[in-house]
Amino acid sequence: MEKKLSQMKYEEKGRIKEIDQSLRAQIAGMGIREGKEVEMMTKQPIKGPVVVNVDRSNTSIGLGLADKITVEVER
Amino acid sequence: MRKVLLMGQANVGKSVLFNRLAGAHVTESNYPGTTVDFAKGRMRLDHEDVEIIDVPGTFSLEPKDRAEEVAASMLKEEKDALVVCVIDSSKVERGLYLTLEVIEKGYPVVVALNMWDVAKDGNIKIDAKKLEQILGVPVVSTVATRGEGLKELVLRMKKAAPGEVEKIVEKVGGKSGTHN
Repeated sequence: MEKKLSQMKYEEKGRIKEIDQSLRAQIAGMGIREGKEVEMMTKQPIKGPVVVNVDRSNTSIGLGLADKITVEVER
Repeated sequence: MRKVLLMGQANVGKSVLFNRLAGAHVTESNYPGTTVDFAKGRMRLDHEDVEIIDVPGTFSLEPKDRAEEVAASMLKEEKDALVVCVIDSSKVERGLYLTLEVIEKGYPVVVALNMWDVAKDGNIKIDAKKLEQILGVPVVSTVATRGEGLKELVLRMKKAAPGEVEKIVEKVGGKSGTHN
């Protein structure tokens, strides 16, 4: 099933399917690119950032960015 | 005086490495117009005094905040600098992104695979030789906190040469210019 990274639930895992062109270069330096496996670690309240685990390390991403990343989640 | 820039993401041990390399010859500076501090020091390289600069941590050369802007502009200003790209060995992929950006700009680069012990503890195996072959620049594993690999790093700094992105892309069989 496909959803936005920002819609993933706590402990949900998935694979990055598509990243909006506008932020590809911006988040590549954070180790996030298409094909990468991600796990949702924490969601901060009041439209705060999400924390995902990529390659065994945690990275926080602003909710606005997470809205532009599409993930194929495991069932 | 020749300059050596220590570049890398935040929390990869740049400052520890810096303190080890510069020893006691350190001056703290405030980058003009910002609140971002960076430290400068001196070290001996190949019988020559060189200035070594601890650049603020940055994810990439396309700045997203003030510290990253400083990092990117420092690199831009120091056209003849040698760049030591410091990578957290337990998070290699992230670090390589910045390294490739610096290589792409034509700077002579040495890669320090720092926190090698952390990677080892996490059962992460990195083939430094192979990485060196692919990147075409020296790659040295280091544990800055314990001073491991620093002699080797300084020795290899003398041999730092600009890498060629096209060749790197060719070696890994990828396509160039897939982003931007």
